[in-house]
Amino acid sequence: MRRGAVRALVALGLVAGSLTFFSAGTATPAAVAATGGGWSQTKKLTRDYYVNSRTVEDPADPSAPPTVVGDQASDSRTVTVRVDKHTDLQSRERIHVTWSGAHPSGGRAANPFGEKGLSQEYPVLLLECRGVDDPSLPAARQIRPSTCWTSTAAQRTLSQSASVASWVHDAAASDADRAHVSGIDPDKVPADCPVADSETYHITPFEGADGKFYAGCNANNMPPQAAAGTADPPNETAAFTALDGTGSADFEVRTSTENEALGCSHTVACTLVVIPIMGISCDAPGGFCNETGNYLPGSTNDGSVGPAEAVSPALWWSPSNWDNRFSVPLDFAQPPNTCSLLGQGDPVPFYGSELMSQAALQWAPAYCLNRSRFNWQANSMPDEAAFTLMKTGGAAAAQISGRQDGDRGIGYAPTAVTGWGIGFVVDKPGNAGEQQSLRLNARLIAKLLTESYPGSPTGAKRPGLGDNPLSINLDPEFEALNPGLDTDHFSEAASTLLALNTSAQLVVQLTSYLQTDPDARAFLNGKADPWGMTVNPAYKKIQLPVDTWPLLDTWFPQKTGNGCLDANPGPYLPKIAAPVSNLRLISIALLLGWPNVNTLCDYDPSANIYKIGRIAQQGIGQRFMLGIVSLSDAQRYGIRVASLQAAKGAYVAGDNAGMRSAVGLMDRVGTSRTSKREDLSLRPYDLDQAKVRRSRTAYPGTMAVYTAAKTYGLDKTTARHVGQFISVSLTEGQKPGRGNGQLPAGYLPIVDSGPTKKLYDAALAVRRAVLAQKPPAAATPTSPSTTPTSTGGTTTGPSTAAPGNAPTSAAPPGAAPASRQPGSGSVATAAAKTAPVSSSLGSGLLPLLLLGGLAAGLVASVSRLLLRVRGVR
Amino acid sequence: MSAIAALRRPGRRAGSRLRRPLRDPLRDPMPAAKPIRPGEVEETIAVASSAFTVIAVICAWMLLQLLVLGGLSAQRSQDLLYGEFRKELAAGTAPTGALDYQGKPLEPGSPVALLSIPQLDLEQVVVDGTASGDLRAGPGHLRSTPLPGQAGVSVVMGRASSYGAPFRDLDRLAPGDAITVRNAEGEVTYQVRSVRRAGDPVPTAPTGSGGLLTLVSAEGSGALSALRPGQVLYVDAVTEKALPAGPVAAAVPASERVMARDTSALPVLVLLLAGVLALVLAVSTARRRFPAPLVWVLATPLAIALAWSATDEVARLLPNLM
Repeated sequence: MRRGAVRALVALGLVAGSLTFFSAGTATPAAVAATGGGWSQTKKLTRDYYVNSRTVEDPADPSAPPTVVGDQASDSRTVTVRVDKHTDLQSRERIHVTWSGAHPSGGRAANPFGEKGLSQEYPVLLLECRGVDDPSLPAARQIRPSTCWTSTAAQRTLSQSASVASWVHDAAASDADRAHVSGIDPDKVPADCPVADSETYHITPFEGADGKFYAGCNANNMPPQAAAGTADPPNETAAFTALDGTGSADFEVRTSTENEALGCSHTVACTLVVIPIMGISCDAPGGFCNETGNYLPGSTNDGSVGPAEAVSPALWWSPSNWDNRFSVPLDFAQPPNTCSLLGQGDPVPFYGSELMSQAALQWAPAYCLNRSRFNWQANSMPDEAAFTLMKTGGAAAAQISGRQDGDRGIGYAPTAVTGWGIGFVVDKPGNAGEQQSLRLNARLIAKLLTESYPGSPTGAKRPGLGDNPLSINLDPEFEALNPGLDTDHFSEAASTLLALNTSAQLVVQLTSYLQTDPDARAFLNGKADPWGMTVNPAYKKIQLPVDTWPLLDTWFPQKTGNGCLDANPGPYLPKIAAPVSNLRLISIALLLGWPNVNTLCDYDPSANIYKIGRIAQQGIGQRFMLGIVSLSDAQRYGIRVASLQAAKGAYVAGDNAGMRSAVGLMDRVGTSRTSKREDLSLRPYDLDQAKVRRSRTAYPGTMAVYTAAKTYGLDKTTARHVGQFISVSLTEGQKPGRGNGQLPAGYLPIVDSGPTKKLYDAALAVRRAVLAQKPPAAATPTSPSTTPTSTGGTTTGPSTAAPGNAPTSAAPPGAAPASRQPGSGSVATAAAKTAPVSSSLGSGLLPLLLLGGLAAGLVASVSRLLLRVRGVR
Repeated sequence: MSAIAALRRPGRRAGSRLRRPLRDPLRDPMPAAKPIRPGEVEETIAVASSAFTVIAVICAWMLLQLLVLGGLSAQRSQDLLYGEFRKELAAGTAPTGALDYQGKPLEPGSPVALLSIPQLDLEQVVVDGTASGDLRAGPGHLRSTPLPGQAGVSVVMGRASSYGAPFRDLDRLAPGDAITVRNAEGEVTYQVRSVRRAGDPVPTAPTGSGGLLTLVSAEGSGALSALRPGQVLYVDAVTEKALPAGPVAAAVPASERVMARDTSALPVLVLLLAGVLALVLAVSTARRRFPAPLVWVLATPLAIALAWSATDEVARLLPNLM
């Protein structure tokens, strides 16, 4: 019996342990669970106030002061708030919040974020707060206004003269809320926040995650993350509700990595608080409390009059508004450093494509926290370098998107199908909201990449660009595809595509897409488009595809009149293009609406120098920015992706349907040129852009990522790890979801049926080969190695031949029998034998000379002797 | 008297068969040397004698060049290279790979490392490049591999019988012997793993910061094996802590491979031989006008210089590991 009890305890312990490890997968129960991990809630919100306020005199007592009377009114609305995802959130993930039935907003601000959104009426306020909205929890773990993040003190502190202050008349306010200084313990008001007797104050302090107390009454008493000019713009939003009561906003959630004072993480629960501002309920008629707004619903804030305080988001903390809140619980996934903190065993890194990074965020915890699996780690590296590292034994496998040279005996197992896209953040003119979709073709992308839009009148002075539209929104080709956008203003950000400056397979595919499009190719060769625009002369007749996009324009503007450009002479158009080194930087730039254009003039008076810097973030309502993103990043950060032209007139979006159609067109690389002996089952698939051009449904940016590993020459443990990775990623890793080990959005699941079946079978075949670790059959007899071939390091500088070929390529096996190239095998193997190399000249010459010389000398002296004997001389 | 008489009559030898009767030295003084008339047997013999003399001289000179004079020249090169390498190390401009400190491709023949094998009492400066001509100055580094001392597989070739033969005793190395390499970035000590010949397994390439140094030379077998280096011999040495690899050349031309010959020496050789021919003609013309000793005094240094250069170039046409 004791044994049974022990067994039961052990089982219980195991279950509890596994639950704590995988608790990230279980979602906290939502108020009303919507489909697919969303959340929604409906509430009836009411504002009780007084209208028709008038002063009346008491006829019975004329000396008494007149009283204010009014008629009671009530504004009742049923508001529903929906959120598309709230569990397993990664940092900076954007969640889409929609609502209906709210009070229409007025006095719309151009920028609804942070402090700038305060001057509106009846907005819907979105705040990220630390804590859980559960009255049964201890007070320290509940949300309250002092744990809600705002980026400025103006959003937390109000001071008004006693007669104007409206919050003291809040019907739901307690006595403490009506005090001269409310919201904070008067002893805790710091000395640099003076309190005058004639004014009434409300101060909302902020409690940091580490327990530190910030008074929040002026900029000096705010947490350091709220300092002006910090890298992170505010994420709290006062969003606009349309006339029909509906509205939507994308909210960027931040973890302790971005905002340490707020301190949200997978161990610290947070809440997204949505407060539809209805205005505060008033306890007495008259006064400023009963105001209903100075702006008409749907109007824009033109600055002519300030918003009415009672219906503005400035009073979000007032009990009337605070009690109307919708609390969306935010559940965060394991942070990216989970594996380094909690992982078992040494990390086994796989190097390769950045397209895997979002999958790696969700897959890595499922490996490192599971004792039966190895500690898998994904690292970004250009494809060629990762492949070389894998071949020389520096990495177990490489995760690359295309076939590389010298891959005899290397198997490519399809691991994920995703792709790239042109992400955009474009606002419709006239504050009509954000543009939801965009159509682009190859010629437009070519124009953007080749710096053919001047960007400004300065750039238009470049010879050859004088007749071109200044930015893409002024291009008639773009306007024809995307009507209804701003066609009046040019901008430098709208004249370029934020791209990569490093080598990537993605760039190869993008430039192949341009190469196979006849219009784009003709444009690049110098032919003008139907509206007269020509390519930048520096890029004329550029050879494509390339793996790194070059910046070829070297034109300097002279005497521009711009102090910075004149003091820092240099090529102008590359400052606008300003490519970056990885895709994540592009995604964050689009998320923040902050172009990487480096033409901002900054004058430092103390040093009397002009500096060139990055331009400011684009204002909400005037944003126009384009960048290359991975489809998985776009899904994570809520970035919209343009539809690209496949066949003429057919614009395909970068969704699962488009990717599935493209996978159906994929074919094995080298089927026509391969010799029969080569094992085709190990080869990767390739998307031929010429085939995409003939399809109406295939998305041109589809890319598959393969796990490339050696099928012989690996030690047993590594082969087992790679085999396990392939099988786990093919089964558990292809289930769509947001939990540990699941496939994030933006990836097409590889399944055993449909167009992805060939990828599924290929992955299984490569897995078998990797686990078997057999040398390839009947190697050609010319190439046993005489010395082991490898470099042990990557070629860092330019070599005497083309960069990148150096380490693994060896000259073909020597033809002359007396000389053989050392290391003529393509892959070093332990089984290779030293080839015999011999030289007949070497073994024969010296003895020949010796003997021959002696013999010749002997004959010469004998014949000379003969002559003497004969009497000759 | 009889000895002098014997001298005066050079034809007189015991046991020689001559058609003419023996002359009496007292009655018949030595006749003047008979000139050779064309068509006679003596002419053939004279020509043959001259030819074979020339062949013997050439063979002897080649042997001398390869075995003795080449060693002198290699020693001189080593001294100069050592001085140059010391200066470069001090100035920090020593190469770390296929590029020099200015980023241009390194010239073959530049010093890249110091190789020292205490067991064999060997201290040599390793030059860049493994063509036959480069290996005349000392051991050479195969340019498509990292430098000795750097991570990865580094190959150094050396001559086994001529030009100082630095690698003649490689087969005496035993597993565990130390090989020290000093290059621009530091000093690395390797341990010999094995001596490898045809048919032996090739070691696996090192990973991470491991380094493998392969010394390549030649060896002979049988009689006069020291003069018959025909079979290639490898010595592999490993280290755990190598320096990071620098830039590496993509591929080397055929003349820098194992046991390769450099046919690009032919044009220079032709010029030098033309010079030799010109010298011969000049000497024979001058001998008619000027006294012989003067001509020989003037011609000898020129002859030696031209012959030395010519045989030096011929050495480039021979396998580089000889």
